[in-house]
Amino acid sequence: MTRELLGLMGIDNDRLALEWVSSAEGARFAEIVTSFTNRIRKLGKSPLGVAA
Amino acid sequence: MNIDEAVKTYQTYYCLDCGVCTGSCPVSRVLPTFSPRIIVEKALFELGDELLHDRELWSCLTCGRCFERCPTNINFPEFMRSLREEAARLGTAPVLSHHGMLQTIMELQTQGIQQKKTAWAREAGRIADKGDTFFFVGCMPYFDVIFREIGVDSLSVSRNVIRILNGAGIEPVVSDEESCCGHDMLWNGRFDTFKTLAARNVELIRASGAKRVVFNCPEGYYTFKHHYPQYLGNLGFEVVHFFDFVETMLADGALKLNNGGSVYTYHDPCRLGRMARIYDGPRNILKRIPDGRFVEMERNRENALCCGTSGWANCSSCSKQIQAERLKEARATGAQVLVTACPKCRIHLSCALGNMDLDIQIKDLTMLLADAVQGAG
Repeated sequence: MTRELLGLMGIDNDRLALEWVSSAEGARFAEIVTSFTNRIRKLGKSPLGVAA
Repeated sequence: MNIDEAVKTYQTYYCLDCGVCTGSCPVSRVLPTFSPRIIVEKALFELGDELLHDRELWSCLTCGRCFERCPTNINFPEFMRSLREEAARLGTAPVLSHHGMLQTIMELQTQGIQQKKTAWAREAGRIADKGDTFFFVGCMPYFDVIFREIGVDSLSVSRNVIRILNGAGIEPVVSDEESCCGHDMLWNGRFDTFKTLAARNVELIRASGAKRVVFNCPEGYYTFKHHYPQYLGNLGFEVVHFFDFVETMLADGALKLNNGGSVYTYHDPCRLGRMARIYDGPRNILKRIPDGRFVEMERNRENALCCGTSGWANCSSCSKQIQAERLKEARATGAQVLVTACPKCRIHLSCALGNMDLDIQIKDLTMLLADAVQGAG
């Protein structure tokens, strides 16, 4: 639902990530956050001009 | 506006302390702790601080039944709206429904997002970028996604508005850049957001060259008609309700209803009825459906019961109780179909019906019209 709503608002779906990480998977959590941060960096500033 | 100014503006000092407001209030019937009369009294006796921090301020549905019946004509909903503005400034907030998702969308619309929400309109019929008639779709593309799970197909209503307008030879302007009309922000006490949204819409409509704007949502219609001129001055275009349009088309024979055959009752939405004073239009349309029969609920027109929530805030067990009561009232008329004319009434009542074992259908008047017209084919 969130993806569809973002689409209507013209916000790139690549800016949303949904992952399940257990508390025992610290390394995986770091990996996901790093790759998501890199993805957002590559996408650049959002059209909103605010941290969305 | 502080409490003293609100009291002066809405002349609440004329209160006779008669209690008709509380006696008429659908919330007070369910939650005896909520009382419009006590709210007015607190404001008059300078208990403002207590009042502005009271959560009850957000329990009011602003449905206007109290105003309708007040012997000294105190506009309680508007008085409540100004108190909420002041309360919001002091940091009190309503409990937002659906985790505040709808308010978030409204806020984002003031931040310069580029919406993409008209694909459905191009599929539904012929639309234009510029023209005389602007169709203000409102929140329907968002509602369609959010409330699909309770079986409410909001965009079907908008699609049929376009089809019926096309049938009358009109290609309406439908725009991706349209923002929320601001109704909910206004009643949630967030005036600044309301004003930003309103100004964006007026600018957009003026740029489209439209001379009139058609609404099928009562809230959008009433907000444009009543609140926009109040805060933005002369709009420079006409504000028309879709049903006025349909009524004219039916009278001219431009639109013919061929299919129907059920027992209908009609739920007056507060913004369309008590606020915009449109009672007869929808009834006239219903009465024209062939082989159909129209029956009134006990509480109709000025006395209609509210659909239970307003402004996407404070949906509670009280709301559910009001909705269940309304649905039972509708069924008791013998009606098979409860017709509404407001997208939100439809959503709220459908949500409540989902938890009830009651043999009645809920339909939007536009959908009913579309079915009646299609019978021709």
